[in-house]
Amino acid sequence: MTTIQEREVALVDLIDRLLGGGVVVAGDITLAAADVDLVYVHLRALITSVATAQEKGLLPHMGSAV
Amino acid sequence: MIDLIAITDHPGPPLPGSLSLQAVPVDGLTAVCAPAEREDATVDALWRREETIEALMADRDLLPVRYGTRLEDDAAAARAVTERRAELGAALDRVRGAVELSLRVIAADDPGEARADDETGGRTRSGADYIRAKACLVARRDAGARTLHEPLSTLARASVKRPPRPPLELLRVAYLVDRPAVEGFTALVARAQRSSPGLRLLLTGPWPPYSFAER
Amino acid sequence: MSDRILHAPPDLELFAADRPEIEDALSRRINADPENVQRGLAQLVLTVVELLRQIMERQALRRIDGDTLSEEQVERLGRTFMELDKRLEELRLEFGLDEEDLNINLGPLGNLL
Repeated sequence: MTTIQEREVALVDLIDRLLGGGVVVAGDITLAAADVDLVYVHLRALITSVATAQEKGLLPHMGSAV
Repeated sequence: MIDLIAITDHPGPPLPGSLSLQAVPVDGLTAVCAPAEREDATVDALWRREETIEALMADRDLLPVRYGTRLEDDAAAARAVTERRAELGAALDRVRGAVELSLRVIAADDPGEARADDETGGRTRSGADYIRAKACLVARRDAGARTLHEPLSTLARASVKRPPRPPLELLRVAYLVDRPAVEGFTALVARAQRSSPGLRLLLTGPWPPYSFAER
Repeated sequence: MSDRILHAPPDLELFAADRPEIEDALSRRINADPENVQRGLAQLVLTVVELLRQIMERQALRRIDGDTLSEEQVERLGRTFMELDKRLEELRLEFGLDEEDLNINLGPLGNLL
């Protein structure tokens, strides 16, 4: 029997995933939350390609920000 | 209106009859759709969605879709999936045969939080106290990451770190673990807990691979 | 163990959800009203600001670790970051964003924050 507390605990992890994870696709009508994420999807694609280019030595060394 | 809920292979096993789901084939993949949820999102709605995805996951590999992905109809779902067909196919291959486990680590004996607001009886913290408490927290997090995350990540196919929630959380990680390795992974976490009396470890799952669906 | 909990300590309440906070976060995220566009922009901006703040703070912590700063310098640095942290939190709350909103998953680069 699942206690209320166990459900509460699992809820944190569920929300992390359901609202913050998963595939993001464009749609005819997307809810507001997904719109912002679409910007991130495109941004991520850009940053990933930059990172890959950097790894392959195709870009000048940028130093580290941290 | 429909909700796109998951991406799976095509062809694949028939969808569970009880859930009024629709399978839309798209070039070797299936877009799994459900009739749009009428009510606004509630905790119960989230759990229902999760039960549905897990029922699907019982006999197939899948990529869960972000909650709230609402589309006009099946054709719209097909267009949306086609647009990212290559990436989605690659992502599905990456998660094949694996599930997601969630680890959260909390410091049980917190020496002091680095919060900006006045805590102790109206007295404002000094800047030095603030920044030193921060340094201590960062040091504990790094140590936690080294001693806990590194051994666990060798048992996982992949891992994604999420920002830990202040003030007590030291680590929050999603692991992609082969289905047969879940038991061994759990045992390792239990062992790690036994050898870390100042920490509290929580492992939940198996979840659908939400954190590994997007690259 | 049940309901997806594979391993947990006895003091489980440490990991429990803050229920009113969760339901509030849900209605904000999913409710598709015009206010969300503004919040979406604020989310983008504050995420970048928060990233910069964390980078700068990490640099400051390194310097403090290096032990080359006077106590007065440490105090000044600490006060600056304390104020910055506070101000950012005020802005975040003003726009109804929670900490998880200020994060982006950048794939191989991990999460933004």
